[in-house]
Amino acid sequence: MERFAFLGRFARNRGALAGTVIILLVAFAALSAPVFFPTDPLRMVAQPELWPGEDPAFPLGTDSLGRDMLAMLVHGARATLLIGLFASAVATLIGVSVGAAAGYFGGWIDETAMRAVELFQTIPNLIFVLTIVVILGSTLHNIVIAIGIVSWTPIARMTRAEFLALRDREFVQACRSMGMGDFGIIVREILPNALPPVIVLSSLVVAGAILFESAVSFLGLGDPNIASWGRLVGDGRELIRSSWYICAIPGVAIMVTVLCLNLIGDGLNDALNPKLRDR
Amino acid sequence: MAAVPLEVSDLRTTLFTRRGEMKAVDGLSLSVGAGETVALVGESGCGKSLSALSIMRLLPDPPARIVGGAVKLNGRDIVPLSEESMLDIRGKEIGMIFQDPMSALNPVATIEKQIAEVVMAHTGLGRFQARARAHELLEQVGIPDAARRLDAYPHQLSGGMCQRVVIAMAIACSPSVLIADEPTTALDVTVQAQVLTLLKRLQAEAGMAMIFITHDLGVVAETADRVVVMYAGRKVEEAAVDDLFEAPLHPYTAGLIGATPVPGAVRAERLADIPGMVPPLNALPPGCAFAPRCPRAMDRCRTERPALTEPRPGRRVACFAAEKGPT
Repeated sequence: MERFAFLGRFARNRGALAGTVIILLVAFAALSAPVFFPTDPLRMVAQPELWPGEDPAFPLGTDSLGRDMLAMLVHGARATLLIGLFASAVATLIGVSVGAAAGYFGGWIDETAMRAVELFQTIPNLIFVLTIVVILGSTLHNIVIAIGIVSWTPIARMTRAEFLALRDREFVQACRSMGMGDFGIIVREILPNALPPVIVLSSLVVAGAILFESAVSFLGLGDPNIASWGRLVGDGRELIRSSWYICAIPGVAIMVTVLCLNLIGDGLNDALNPKLRDR
Repeated sequence: MAAVPLEVSDLRTTLFTRRGEMKAVDGLSLSVGAGETVALVGESGCGKSLSALSIMRLLPDPPARIVGGAVKLNGRDIVPLSEESMLDIRGKEIGMIFQDPMSALNPVATIEKQIAEVVMAHTGLGRFQARARAHELLEQVGIPDAARRLDAYPHQLSGGMCQRVVIAMAIACSPSVLIADEPTTALDVTVQAQVLTLLKRLQAEAGMAMIFITHDLGVVAETADRVVVMYAGRKVEEAAVDDLFEAPLHPYTAGLIGATPVPGAVRAERLADIPGMVPPLNALPPGCAFAPRCPRAMDRCRTERPALTEPRPGRRVACFAAEKGPT
């Protein structure tokens, strides 16, 4: 019952519904990439700079090296979505842990954690990501970790605020009066109550992470073995005056995906925020 | 002879704040026998709830800390115990019921999950057995259609039902002491009576010692065996419930009783209120804390603090005026 009510509230937001459908399509394309395009997408298959529609075998044309744009786009969706999801997971894990500890225990733990958050927030995000990637090396999981490290601070602040509000509630006191320890109270009692806004924020961090990764790849610092969308845009930038579609197609894919993720975030917010529930 | 379930002696709890130290509980002593109910009475801010939290060792520290005295639970002093040992004691040997049942339950967990959690924490029962025990407990506290309610969320239940669930959780591991902190204040009157009846029944069945915190003297008359009246963190009077209503010794007690409506009484007069307010704990007068509001205050009351005396066995009072004669 509860679950269905939640889905109903989510679906009432048309934008969120549309966003979910498109993201599911992108995810399906990403998952089915090896089925439809079983060969390496980075292989040269036709003459370079074939415009979209020019050859029915390559509906989105080819790039400057004669690689199939559609194959690269679909395989790129795998890399881009994967990086977005995992970077968001890393950010959420760090953010929730730090925020929960800070909000629940307060005192010097809170002080230390919040000063750390402020320290991270003063460093320009993109430069921070680039620095970490350059130092650790441009591999897929280093990029994921780098994006996670710069994106956890808003989640930590949000979690802390929720914990501050919830830790003095009577049911927490009641749990203490029944002999529940700090860890049990944090994980089983407060966290489920604090989670809705954190989930919303995490879905937005996925969008942010995709943009970060695209920027890193655009600058040529991405993992050289992976054709993410950002790298496709980067590869095409020299030909932007003659064959602008090479940049535009992956660029549109990034834009649509990020937009849809934001719409989903809004929908989740409507569905999970109890104050807006009965509008 | 078995130890008294709860014996508090000379308990002192102090709030350490920026505006100085405040003695929130100042030398409280009371003992509660098995199957006995002791009511803790007083206005808001008298230290009733802080006394209860001190006994549970649940004070927010900082700013509050127990600075002296002993709380003996089944013969063992729990004041020096570590927090780890307290986790085992809370819920198992001593349970607590809270004022607002709606907010004392986790809004996002089912009834079953919340009860089972307590049961599993203290008994080592598995998930399945804990569910059976939760079902049994719900029936014990008189929740109709208990099997279905197990999967309900708190917001799907009424206030009275929620309070029954809270009670079920508190008695889940058959504690020997139960502290009820204004358990009926947030409920409407008919439900109040049901909850009181339920508490009395459960207490009689298990022989629990119960501390009943309230400011409703009607509830006191119905439930308590003995009454401890608190004022500004100190015990000012203690008596068996009948004695107290018949002949209150302390002017504060008399004032509280006078401020309670009596059914059937002539309605010509207004209820007698006690003028003024409980003094803030950081500005207590040097003498008797009640002196500024007391109709019988003498010069001596304003300079010297009256000690607790015992005019008759089981009857204690801290008042100079009462020593001279009854009100």
